[in-house]
Amino acid sequence: MSVFRSIVTAAALATVATPALAQQEVVWWDFLSGGDGVRMAALIDRFNEEHPDINIDATTLEWGVPFYTRIRTSTAVGEGPDIMTYHLSRVPLALDEGVLSEITAEDLANAGLTTNDFYERSIAAASSDDGTLHAVPFDVHSVVLYYNRDMLEGTNYLDADGNLTGMDSLESFEAAMAALVENGVTEPLSYATADAGTTYRVFYTLFSQMGGELITDGEVLAGDNADKAVQAIEIMARWRENGWVPEQTEYPASVALFTSGRSPFHWNGVWEVPTMTDLAASGELSFDWGAVQIPALMGQLGTWADSHAFAIPQEDQPMDPEKRAAVMTVIGWMSQNSLSWAEAGHVPAFRSVAESDDFRAMEPNATYAALVETVAYDPRSQIAGVASPLYDAVQNLIVPAVDGFVTPQQAIDQMKTDLQRLIR
Amino acid sequence: MAVIRNPRKNALIAASLVAPFVLTFALVFAYPTFQVIRLSFTDSPLIGDGEWIGLDNYWRLLSDRLFYTSLWNNGYFLLLTVVPTTALALGMALLVNKLKGRWQALVLALFFLPYILPVSVVTEIWTWMLDFQFGILQPVITLFNGDPVAVFRNPYWVMPMIALVTVWWVNGFNVLLFIAGLRNIPRDLYEAAALDGATARQRFLRVTWPLLWPITVLVLTLQLILQLKIFDQVYLLSQGGPFNTSYVPLLLVYREAFQLNEGGYASAIALVIFVIILVVSVLQFQLLRIVGRR
Repeated sequence: MSVFRSIVTAAALATVATPALAQQEVVWWDFLSGGDGVRMAALIDRFNEEHPDINIDATTLEWGVPFYTRIRTSTAVGEGPDIMTYHLSRVPLALDEGVLSEITAEDLANAGLTTNDFYERSIAAASSDDGTLHAVPFDVHSVVLYYNRDMLEGTNYLDADGNLTGMDSLESFEAAMAALVENGVTEPLSYATADAGTTYRVFYTLFSQMGGELITDGEVLAGDNADKAVQAIEIMARWRENGWVPEQTEYPASVALFTSGRSPFHWNGVWEVPTMTDLAASGELSFDWGAVQIPALMGQLGTWADSHAFAIPQEDQPMDPEKRAAVMTVIGWMSQNSLSWAEAGHVPAFRSVAESDDFRAMEPNATYAALVETVAYDPRSQIAGVASPLYDAVQNLIVPAVDGFVTPQQAIDQMKTDLQRLIR
Repeated sequence: MAVIRNPRKNALIAASLVAPFVLTFALVFAYPTFQVIRLSFTDSPLIGDGEWIGLDNYWRLLSDRLFYTSLWNNGYFLLLTVVPTTALALGMALLVNKLKGRWQALVLALFFLPYILPVSVVTEIWTWMLDFQFGILQPVITLFNGDPVAVFRNPYWVMPMIALVTVWWVNGFNVLLFIAGLRNIPRDLYEAAALDGATARQRFLRVTWPLLWPITVLVLTLQLILQLKIFDQVYLLSQGGPFNTSYVPLLLVYREAFQLNEGGYASAIALVIFVIILVVSVLQFQLLRIVGRR
């Protein structure tokens, strides 16, 4: 009995004595690794230092299906985090699953934010069909064209300042690759040809530049969208046949092809910007590099894009209002300080940061930041988004078509069948 | 003695002895099985309850082309693994059995080693050995094929290669079973056969083979059940591709449940696979026993 009593007394004393009583513990889950992870960890540390009353307890989980499955199962039993990172491309499925708590006007006020602070397309992607907000966009991340200035030296494709120029159509881009091969370059364009995500991003960029739409009114590749998709695959297959892209190349190898100075062009996400910056800073990059938004190869500008966002899980037990206010403080602070996040290559979704002088001075982000005006998010569908059946279909069908095992038409026919069966 | 004669007490003791097993079995097997059956008649998500929709999930499965493709692929995989691994294990066991003492233990340990590895390690080893750019087995493939092959991204190579990895992985266990079977055959049968002038071939066909048959049936059946449930290697090596050529039923269950949040439909597929495995393995076991008796 006395043991019990002393424990109770000690606990009571502890609660009275420690100022930590007022401290809100915010449980944070994210899927950020690599350069992203390092930069987010630094942001979280800074936040914790500046906020003695709030403590972020962060855990990084495995990206993709494992992360999203854990979110679903943990929120179902009321064991979810207080705040989590989320891909906006996953919002449609999340709304269907009911795992996202609505971000109310009051929440936004607690964070010191309004929806007008963000790019319109990102707010639309973070909202349900009836316009209620379910996540707060943090960035816009896309694919860009990295290029090696030294290797392009002496060609017509660099202007007087050494910036990429004259890439305004598929013909000019292909002519550049052909000319580089003439000059003894092997694989002028590196991208991860064996990787579903990268292949999808290349495919979807070409496809959206033709005005293609993957899913319209619940129908997969309706009308001439199928022809546009076939055309996009034909282009990618031609690049492989001509030896312009490396065959069967995994993600790390595709980056190495560029950083080792073998491929003058590299088509990849902005998240590799830190890799290049760090290598250049440590003197390990033997050349001068740049990055631009993907040129209008198919007639109009357009780039695959997604956004990292913050969301609050929807649980049966409503969150304590004070904790929720603390969570919103975190989100507001992160938005205000997203310039540090931009160092990871991303374009901040928070416009006053994205339009600030500091960001405009940040290279190469400032050069390609205009891409946010024409980004093509994944179709709003439960079967699209990061680690979705759409990604699987690309690995399963489009990659073999690019490799020449099946025709682009066969791949697209199969894709229509496989994906259509999933839409209910 | 009185304890045993008291039937009520006897029954109580018996009940208390089997209770741990019965309770565990009910909790971790019977109850989940019942739940899977119940879920398969609903449109439940992965977590939470759904509406009762009768046989709708089963009708949908009947018209699901991917299900037939995956069954077909799994059938092909059975052909590539079950009989080959059994034959290989038998051959190895016969050779190992010729060795004596420590040598036998050493060789047996070497064969058994892959079996104790977790599947993720196995697939990681083979992914690197068969890597398109750096794989140490690519020169061998080039020797036969003329070009290197990205085996897990090639529709023709993918299934045979997954089969190869699987056989390499599980074969040690089968060798062990066969060794145990061989040791159970009395030595004097061979001596008697040798005295009667039986050749080595005759000794194998007339003594070893018939007496080893029950073990062969066991290995074949265990392999059949195991390979009908293939998932891990496919998930880790090829994700069902390319072009659905390595899509298998359990991958369908996984994707429906964990990717698409379709708990009900996934349960229906799982149940159908369960019934298929049950029927096929019982059929095979009985058939092989009848063959053995003749």
